[in-house]
This record gives sequence, structure tokens and C-alpha cells, in this order.
Amino acid sequence: MSKLVLKFESSVLQEVAVGQKEVSIGRSPDNGIVIDNPAVSNYHARVFTEEGRLMLQDFGSLNGTFVNGQRIKMIMLKPGDSVAVGKHTIVVTDSVEVRARSLDHAEMKPAVPKMNETVMLDTKDRREFLEKVAAVGESAQPAPGRMKIPTLVVRNGNTDRPEYALNDKLTVVGKSAMATVKLRGWFKPKAAAQINRKEDNSYYIGPADKTPSVNGEPITHPTKLASGDLIEVAGVELEFVVRD
Amino acid sequence: MEFGARSDPGRVRENNEDSFRLAPEINLFVLSDGMGGLEAGEIASKLAVETVVEHCEQAEADPSLAVFGKHIEGVSDACNRMASAVRLANTAIYENARNRGGKAAMGATIVVLRVFEDRVCIAHVGDSRAYLLRAGQFDQLTEDHSFVADQVRRGVLTPEEASRSRMHNVLTRALGIDPTVDVDVTEELLMDGDVFLVCSDGLFRELSNAQITGILGETDDPQRAASRLVDLANQAGGGDNITVIVLRNSPKSSRPFAKIGRWFKGTDRVAEPEK
Repeated sequence: MSKLVLKFESSVLQEVAVGQKEVSIGRSPDNGIVIDNPAVSNYHARVFTEEGRLMLQDFGSLNGTFVNGQRIKMIMLKPGDSVAVGKHTIVVTDSVEVRARSLDHAEMKPAVPKMNETVMLDTKDRREFLEKVAAVGESAQPAPGRMKIPTLVVRNGNTDRPEYALNDKLTVVGKSAMATVKLRGWFKPKAAAQINRKEDNSYYIGPADKTPSVNGEPITHPTKLASGDLIEVAGVELEFVVRD
Repeated sequence: MEFGARSDPGRVRENNEDSFRLAPEINLFVLSDGMGGLEAGEIASKLAVETVVEHCEQAEADPSLAVFGKHIEGVSDACNRMASAVRLANTAIYENARNRGGKAAMGATIVVLRVFEDRVCIAHVGDSRAYLLRAGQFDQLTEDHSFVADQVRRGVLTPEEASRSRMHNVLTRALGIDPTVDVDVTEELLMDGDVFLVCSDGLFRELSNAQITGILGETDDPQRAASRLVDLANQAGGGDNITVIVLRNSPKSSRPFAKIGRWFKGTDRVAEPEK
């Protein structure tokens, strides 16, 4: 009797014996070997015995079944063959080898993670991994340490200060006690507008009790600010300035 | 703030490694998605949400309670308190894993959302998310700490490619992995009509933003919205545990005294008959 050993990279996920009963392979949970991966079809392939020979048949899967690197529809399997389904490998072993192994592992089921389960790159791997990917698309990342803090300069209107450094994640323009840009005067809204600093240190302005305008355009949805933008809201004019 | 929540193992997994806790008396809502073999994931996510709620409740009773970790500039004290609670949860899980012999990988994501005065504070680690539906626009407020999200930020992958990536389950940051953790915090101004959604990846991997927005937009009762989202994610496959918290700042509940009044009368959450 032969055995199929499902592996992902170097880890063994499952071992299944093939006897009289065929073993189906696929993403659907009712398969004998379940590979929970979007690249695998629900019913991808099957392994069965015909006249004493071990056969592998692909069910016309989208991404194919490969034996020793060759895409196949139907093939006879022999011990040592390596079947690739998606990113997974199924290794065919003969009974002698299996018996020797199963003595050691008779009662032990290794606690390997099921595929598609969330995993954390472990610390060492993670660092190497992140260093590797850091090299790609470096320019898209803001250079840390050289971050410029933009300023809101009051061009017109009654506020408590002439300008405001946008240090905070959330800057509120209004009369509220928690507002950064404090508006003075009667009938001013508690929160006229808001400016959000994102993780990548870009700044977005959005409406609150009033609809602000930027360079004369009314802002109904959060909109990215650029240096020199003129914001008008609740009777004040503020310029968004990124200084060199 | 009206709220509703539901957690479901989904249709593939046997156990539910997600946890959530609601502490409406301090407007605190917490969700965590655990990972690790056997029961480790369940333990990790429970430990995460419980530690966060406990720390925030203690701080509410005693504001002089030490803040764990370094102060984050540019956000409110409430936000810093939440980051402190998340760092404490990291330590709790890390220590717990070590006491189990250190071999068992154990981790969790977390999203902490708190309404405080005029704003909503969010602290998070991992790939569970917070979204805001405001005036018809649906925005993700948190950035995933995952390998694919990193690649999108670096411009290596488009968001489209990322959603099909086989690496989507690889996190770059989680609670319980290292002795310390970086916590992302953000703040939003709270406005009338805002709807916040906090969810685990089991929801957004099954449903499109349009499907989620549709349900949030047409379902007034947050509990019903939470249930409908979970049902729809299950219909779409339910490949992972699904947990959602829905919060609605309905215009009529915006006045604090009216809110307190309804709370005492017990009419703040009127149950809708099941169909």
C-alpha cells in the first residue's frame, strides 16, 4: 500500500494511505486531502488504484496538477514521485518506508498549522524578510526623521493664534474645547472641519458641521492637502504650508 | 452610541479563535483574532480583549494608573491609555506563551475603539480592521500589519493583486510574538450619523466593500447589521472565523442627556422582533 504525504515547503501537513478507496484532492472540505488555498480547485484531482497500479487524474483543474514538473491529466504514480498542486507538494512513498515512519509517529500527530490559517513570521525570519522586501519600492516610503510638520497659517478671520503646527493625528477647526484651531465669535460651529494625519504622514481635510472649501472647491469627502492649499471654513481662511 | 456585535466560527473552522468585549459604560469596544495551534489562538484573543478592557476600566476608576510604554505624541490621553492597554495585552500573551514552554506559537490581532468626548480613538495591531461609513463614504481607518499590505504601501502590489495574494495570511505585527509591540493609534472626529465597523479578516475576505456598505447603510439597528454581515459572510463561504462590532452614532442620540435618559429608561436599545 502506498502513502501520500502532503507537504508545504519542508513541513509535512498530512499523510494519507491509498488502498482500495480512492483519495480525492481539493479545496472542498470533503476531500481526502484538503488544500485550503485559492489556487486549488474544489475538486482538483484524485489518486486511485487500477489493476494494482497507482493512478493520478486531474479533474480539469484551473491551475493544473504537475508530476515531477510536468502538467498532467492522468498518469501512473511510482514511489518517489512528487505531485505539485498549487504551492503544495504531495510526495508518493511506498509501504515499506511508510511502515518504518509510522512506527515512530504512530500516536503522534504533529501540531502543524492548517494552511490558510493566519501565521506570524517569526522574529528572525521576519527581520530577514522585511529587509529583503525593504529593498523593493524603497522610494515609495517616506524617509523617516526628515518628516516636515506642516503649518496652518491664518490668512483671514478670528482665531486664537496666527498659525498652528499640525502635530496631531486629528486637528479640529472649531469652537469646541478640544479644537486645535479655535474659532472666536458668535455662531461659530463647535467643529467646522477636521484634518487627519495618516500613517504615511499625508494630511486629509474633511467636513464636520460645515463644508470647508479648498482653493474654492467645496470638500464633501476627505481630500488630500498639498502645500499652498487655501482652506476656507466658517468665515476663516487658512493656508496649508509645508516649509522647507 | 448604539451598538451590536456577533461572532461566528464560520463554515470551515471548528473553533472560534476570535474574541470581543463590549464595555459601553466607558464607550469601549474591543475585538481580537487569535492564532496558534490547538487552543492557543482562543486563549490569546481572550487574553487580549480581557486585558485591554480591564486596564481601561481600572484607568477610568483611577486616572493616575501608570501608562505602560512610551507616550505617543500627537494623540489624546485617551488614545495613549488604549495603546498602554494594548502593550499590556502583548505582555500578557507573550508571558502566557512562555509559560507554556515557549514552543507554542501564540498570537493575536487587536482593534480597540473608544468614543471619548468629541472623538473616536482607535488603537490596533495586526490585520483586524476598523472602518467608518460617513455620508455614504466607506473608509478603512486602520492599516493592516500584513505582508501584502506592506507590499501595497511600497507600491510592489496593487490592492487588486493583494486581495488575490496567497500571502494574505502572513502578518508582520501581532500581539504576543515579541516582548514589546508597536501600536498604531488614530483619531477621528465623531459626527452625527457615523457608523463604525470593527471586524476580523473573516468578514472582509468574504465580502466586498460594496456589500458591507450596502448592509450598514440599509440596516438601522446595529445588532441586526452585525448579524446580517455575519450571515452574508457565511453564505459567501465562511472560510474563517467572523466577528463584527457595529457602532452607530445616530443623530438623535448625540445629546448626552438624552442618551443617559434613554439608558435609565432602558429604551436605548429596543429589540426588533426576529423574522
